[in-house]
Amino acid sequence: MTPIAGAVALNLAFGFSILSIICLFIFTLNEDKRLFLTGQRLSLGISFFVFLATFILWYQLIISNFDIDYVARYTSIETPFIYKISALWAGQSGSLLFWLFILSIFATITVLQNQSKHHGLMPWVIISLSIIQLFFLILTNFVTNPFMPTDADFVVANGNGLNPLLQNVTMAIHPPTLYLGYVGFSVPFAFAISALMNRDTSTLWIQSIRRWTLVAWLFLSSGIILGGWWAYQELGWGGYWAWDPVENASFMPWLTATAFLHSIIIQEKKDMLRIWNMALIILTFTLCIFGTFLTRSGVMSSVHSFTASSLGPIFLIFVFLILIVSFSLMYLRRSELRSEKRMESFTSRESGFLFNNLVFVVMCFAVFWGTLFPVISETIRGTKITVGPPFFNQINVPIGLILLALTGVGPLLAWRNTSKQSLIKNFTFPILSGLIAAIIFLFIGFKGSVVISFSLSVFVLATISTEFKRGISARTKKFKESIFKALFEMVSKNRSRYGGYIVHVGIVFMFVGFTGHAFDKEKEFSLTKGQSDHVAGYEFTLLKLSETERPNHYAWISDIRVTDNKGEYVTNLYPEKRIYFHKNPDVNRRQPHSELDIYSTLNKDIYSIFSAVDNENGVAFIKIMVNPLVRWVWIGGYILVIGTMIALWPRKD
Amino acid sequence: MNSNKKFTIMIAGVITVVIFWIGWVSSNPKDEKAMASFISVEKLLNDKMKKRTKLGGLVKDGSIIISETNYLDCSFVLKEGAAELKVKYDRSRPDLFKDGAEVIITGQYLDGTFYADELQTKCASRYEGDLRDESSYKLTEIET
Repeated sequence: MTPIAGAVALNLAFGFSILSIICLFIFTLNEDKRLFLTGQRLSLGISFFVFLATFILWYQLIISNFDIDYVARYTSIETPFIYKISALWAGQSGSLLFWLFILSIFATITVLQNQSKHHGLMPWVIISLSIIQLFFLILTNFVTNPFMPTDADFVVANGNGLNPLLQNVTMAIHPPTLYLGYVGFSVPFAFAISALMNRDTSTLWIQSIRRWTLVAWLFLSSGIILGGWWAYQELGWGGYWAWDPVENASFMPWLTATAFLHSIIIQEKKDMLRIWNMALIILTFTLCIFGTFLTRSGVMSSVHSFTASSLGPIFLIFVFLILIVSFSLMYLRRSELRSEKRMESFTSRESGFLFNNLVFVVMCFAVFWGTLFPVISETIRGTKITVGPPFFNQINVPIGLILLALTGVGPLLAWRNTSKQSLIKNFTFPILSGLIAAIIFLFIGFKGSVVISFSLSVFVLATISTEFKRGISARTKKFKESIFKALFEMVSKNRSRYGGYIVHVGIVFMFVGFTGHAFDKEKEFSLTKGQSDHVAGYEFTLLKLSETERPNHYAWISDIRVTDNKGEYVTNLYPEKRIYFHKNPDVNRRQPHSELDIYSTLNKDIYSIFSAVDNENGVAFIKIMVNPLVRWVWIGGYILVIGTMIALWPRKD
Repeated sequence: MNSNKKFTIMIAGVITVVIFWIGWVSSNPKDEKAMASFISVEKLLNDKMKKRTKLGGLVKDGSIIISETNYLDCSFVLKEGAAELKVKYDRSRPDLFKDGAEVIITGQYLDGTFYADELQTKCASRYEGDLRDESSYKLTEIET
């Protein structure tokens, strides 16, 4: 396979996408069935050529064909196989092709899955998907082509190699997971546009995309969590979330998507909130494209800022086009979108969902504001102001706590209206547990938002356990089942509901982990052999400083013994200072890297960074952080994934 | 008043309050580290700005001095165009911090010295071409 074939495949896909859009558009006017079939096959053709192009680039990366600029930039002969594969999304043009690749997988599944279903919706669904594909084909064909040959009049003997920070298994899976999420929302968006075009905005389109949305949401959530995990394990600043523009870019669509997941339940059950749901899915998809834009354009300075490039304006135009077209369409269909149903009471499940939605959107707005504030202030006042984590925390901590409280309140409210008796009956136990917890936490000496967060967590867990208990006891009474059988039957009869509750448990765990951040301690110091220093009641003693040479780097390893305040042994930590490309004669091309070592327990993490080494005097410069409860965040992440999977699991029928 | 109207009013109220609150926090953040103006070194030197600022530039070749007594104490000269500024920094330095590195620092200017408490290095040019001008990237450098 020559690289030319890849470029040609991208050209063909470009042509096919235009043809497919034209065919299907004419079909919507004259209803000639043959045109629909042609359009559908052309759409499969786009995906086929995109697959081909992607596989060719992958092949070139694997065989290290350095005649291709992209291959030479992101891999070298020594790059391990798995990172040659992941180099597909290491750089700009490759990652755009990868976006397109995933979109094409989704488009193919959508087309094949709906061959005998949703005949009314499909033409516009395929047109919408093809337009999105067309956009990325324009980028990969004309703006930043991954098959561009190396710009040199000599033979490139070896490539640049992949950044060592990216040579990490998490980093090989974090971007694809996030992309699967971002791209996944294209499908619900396409169905939404199609519903608008067809003037059928009842619950049909919602039913057809519920599962897609959940899958995309699952990927987006796990992508975000994996990104935090990678930052925590690799970057060495001791945190997992920094309110960096690119992190925010993935968080914003997550917020609107989560709101959407909740509010479509109301449309399914009550046929309310049609306008709201439309707006939410349009916003979510736009934010996904906007996120790709923020990641790829380099408008924002951040750890993720890859390159300043010509992509910015094109992306912005696309974002505005989506917004203008979608919202004008909504305006034109406003009479169909109006719903007869009305909210009946503040203490109803509907209004609970509505408030939860409102809070999600408000939070999204706050994050959006903070992210774009530098740009806004530069345009208006001429000074660029950067916004740091304290701003985001100050605003989002209270909003997050309200959200946490609603997580507990929502499930206990009945549809339409909750009577006073049932309010009292349902809330007595959870509120009491929350209050008792609050008193205990205050007694221990916690303050302010920490107490609120921990007690709310107890409150939410109490409501969820009440829900489970109620369901189980109803079954054990009615069917005389054992508790476990009842639990199993109950969950499998109503997967989305109980899966949802399990996701809530995961979120509570994560909140507990976030709250632990308030107790973080850190200290930097230098140690020679035998010396020790103290952080947060622990003693750190440098036992040994050794050095070793490994295939692609040189490493200094400190052996640090950790003992607690009673003098009891806790663990040994082995943080490393590494120099990658250590054999390179040009000193500036050698790359230092600190490999962390973390001792992690449910209670706290001890996080060690080997900042620098003074070789002559045998001094190690160490930074230690003691971060309580971080593990709860990752456990919460696992629970969230399990809960979503339960909600997704197909029913037998 | 029907219930839908009540809801609309309530939602509008919540949104208004939140927008004012966000606006207020934007202009009076609780923590001074929440915001910093990104200005040029030249402007900082001309205006002798005392508030928290963020600067970008290159580390002047050969200007990094690391204290003999405390490895964490270091000073260097930040160059942006023709303007030069002496910087002191006493926290652990990123791995990519070295002569000629492109850095972003945050801190305060006091009597001729800039005291930075944050130092970020931009990704090494090795991996993504030159950050300011992608076309300046030359593969000749890796010719063997």
